[in-house]
Amino acid sequence: MSWITLDKIKKLQEQFDFVQINESDKGFHSVEVPKENFKQFVQFLKEDPDYRFKMFIDWTIVDHGQKADPRFQGVLILFSPEYKERIIVKTWATEETLPTLTDIWAGAKWAEREAWDMFGIKFEGHQNLVRMFMWETYPYHPLRKDFPLKGYEEVELPSLNEKERMDQLEGLQNYSRMHTALPTLEDLEITQKKRMPNKKSQVVLNWGPLHPGTHGTIWFLFDMEGEYVQECDIIIGQLHRGVEKLAENLNVQQIIPYTDRMDYIASMNENHSVCVAAEKLLGIHEKIPEKAKYIRTMLAELSRINSHLLWLGTYALDLGALTMFLYTFREREKIMDIFEGITGARFTINYFRVGGVYADLPYGALDAIEHFIKDFPTRLNDYETLLTRNRIWLRRNIDVGIITEEDVYSYGLTGAVARASGVPYDLRIIDKYDAYGEVEFDVPVGEKGDSYDRYLVRIEEMKQSARIVQQCIEKLRKMSKNDPFFFEPEDKKMKITIDGRGTKLFKGEVYAGADNPRGELGVYIFMPKDGIKPHRFRLRSGAFYNLQIFPKLMVGRPIADAITILSTIDPVVGETDR
Amino acid sequence: MGIKKVGLNRNVQPQTLTEKIFFLDFMKGLKTTIKHLFRKVITVDFPFELVEPAPRFRGVHGLRNVDGTEKEDFDAWVKKLKIKPPEMGETRCIACKFCQAACPVPEIFIIKAEKLDVPEDHPHHGLKVLSQFDMDLSKCMFCGLCTLACPTVCIIHTDVYDLSSYTRRGWVLNKETLSKIADDFIARRGKEKYDEKSHWPDWQKIWDEADTARAKAWDNNPPKLGPNYADQQ
Ligand code: SF4
Ligand code: SF4
Repeated sequence: MSWITLDKIKKLQEQFDFVQINESDKGFHSVEVPKENFKQFVQFLKEDPDYRFKMFIDWTIVDHGQKADPRFQGVLILFSPEYKERIIVKTWATEETLPTLTDIWAGAKWAEREAWDMFGIKFEGHQNLVRMFMWETYPYHPLRKDFPLKGYEEVELPSLNEKERMDQLEGLQNYSRMHTALPTLEDLEITQKKRMPNKKSQVVLNWGPLHPGTHGTIWFLFDMEGEYVQECDIIIGQLHRGVEKLAENLNVQQIIPYTDRMDYIASMNENHSVCVAAEKLLGIHEKIPEKAKYIRTMLAELSRINSHLLWLGTYALDLGALTMFLYTFREREKIMDIFEGITGARFTINYFRVGGVYADLPYGALDAIEHFIKDFPTRLNDYETLLTRNRIWLRRNIDVGIITEEDVYSYGLTGAVARASGVPYDLRIIDKYDAYGEVEFDVPVGEKGDSYDRYLVRIEEMKQSARIVQQCIEKLRKMSKNDPFFFEPEDKKMKITIDGRGTKLFKGEVYAGADNPRGELGVYIFMPKDGIKPHRFRLRSGAFYNLQIFPKLMVGRPIADAITILSTIDPVVGETDR
Repeated sequence: MGIKKVGLNRNVQPQTLTEKIFFLDFMKGLKTTIKHLFRKVITVDFPFELVEPAPRFRGVHGLRNVDGTEKEDFDAWVKKLKIKPPEMGETRCIACKFCQAACPVPEIFIIKAEKLDVPEDHPHHGLKVLSQFDMDLSKCMFCGLCTLACPTVCIIHTDVYDLSSYTRRGWVLNKETLSKIADDFIARRGKEKYDEKSHWPDWQKIWDEADTARAKAWDNNPPKLGPNYADQQ
């Protein structure tokens, strides 16, 4: 398991006497340090040759409730690429402030803005601590425990309700005429100004929020000098639905359908992350039935192909190759047909469960998948003939948006974006969750980290996924129809059900996740005691952190490159905003 | 398990001079396009042609009625919840509210049961019947958790997917509508989905093989469906 060992933590304690250790029987140990020593300590972790936790993973807050004093705790998750280990460092945010980490890891910039937005924690030394998802004049911090789940309904929105017809509805199912706060045009103007405090040119170019090239509702601001971008910023949050807040009020199986709506293009993989994390917290991940493991691996990889096909189609479409879009959608259609037959839904899947899957494969499922996988390489070949060595394609991609290895660590980039820069960071080989430890596949890595490498890496990933699917089919064929697909606990204290009623989580904390097409979706669950509802359910979105590097890549580039860079970073707004 | 390096000059060769001069890259691309020009149409001509949803498809809900295919423990559940034993054609719902408990958005449901107004010596004295079952499907995310929770396989997903309405009122379905949807679905496709005891059988197909519209979407070359596992027929 990719977690720091107790011995190594003990050594830390010898060196720094202020370090406290939280031991966990599942092996996910964390350390706690006082706020004054926090920065010095993490700097040491980053630089010391015995630790080298130089990769930023996540930086977030846990609210311990109104009565607790101190109330908020900062949680930093780091990864050491050299030793393949993870660590959680915690510190109490006394007086609702914490020191900023932006000078150590650039990736902390958005993480701290999100923490300020959601919890109202001030980060001392942050260069522009503005809100991340909400607009600037929004008065609340919604992830605090005292903020009600429904929000404060304080504006009247008659247009949402049709009066005459609505009034015929009786009982509970009527709609309230009042609505939670909404931004006005002035609010948006203030937000926009705050995001770009030192703009230089007369006009800021707005791209989005509703533009087909942004693949969702992202709002870009470009400060232009002629055709070249001097400064760039991104306003996201238009699709913010507070999944983390919702999750705090549900049991873990009920959270899974909400994650479908995050990365809606690869919802299978989003479900996978939650399942893996919850299973690790319960300590049952190794005991999941073999059949469920293989089914999950197979479908997760199919979903990766599905997602990369959408990426390829829209990316080529944005750069002017319309036919590609039509071809890739033809293949996607088949995958979605397979998903529909197996899971019951084409898009918002909700098939994986904590403990396995909710039903066995229907008759003919493996044949359909095999049929698709046999045919797929020739199709992929077609795509490659159209694009890979096409001169327009080469010109528009090579040397555009170069991401260095250093950037990957300091921004916490994951997925194909990290791998294209030569960092073989892939949870599938680091954590070996589900059946990934038992199947053969290669992790493609790029050389330069430009858009072209990201393109090649994703194309190669599709080929490798097809390989994994093929191996899973062979393995599944040998199994019996009576093999279980859902885990039955022997432990009396543990309760997990397919429909979710009464599914319990154990006391403790865990950070785990899955490697999704758009980067690592990590789930950090914090449980102060056994219970049904998670106390803190943090979703570390790969797309969110990957998008963060976009402004840096855009500086000094012509505006036309925005499309290429955005497409190869490939964020999906449902996941960046959550 | 290894690492595969990709990149220009690694697994992709840069363009050669001949390719550059004679535009061979464009020619090759055109070849692919022209090849596709002579293929059969693969798009489905909606709404004149419809793909039949798979048996497992999670569409609009229905409430099943008693039709003799209940699970073995159906009577025990009826007794436990003090429900009037339903006759043929009456709803299977025993007002246990398990569906509501499993649902991530419990406000969707309004489920009420009423005591029967009968004299004391009547055999149904003290028993209840389902009086209200409303679902507001505008809040539903079709996740399927409610159907898994239902002990009597009463609430089910049907293959109906067109749920558009001009008002929000149109998404609130009551007991009668839901029963009608389920009856209609069971009559059409019940055999594909359930066995004689209302379980999903292991011969439940991924989709109907004879569906020509779906075959079209599969390049007119749909897969032949066979058993998955070694011991399955
Ligand atoms: S499908 Fe899901 S959201 Fe809809 S009623 Fe059932 S449990 Fe609730
Ligand atoms: S779970 Fe089934 S039987 Fe129970 S109230 Fe819901 S529909 Fe009725």
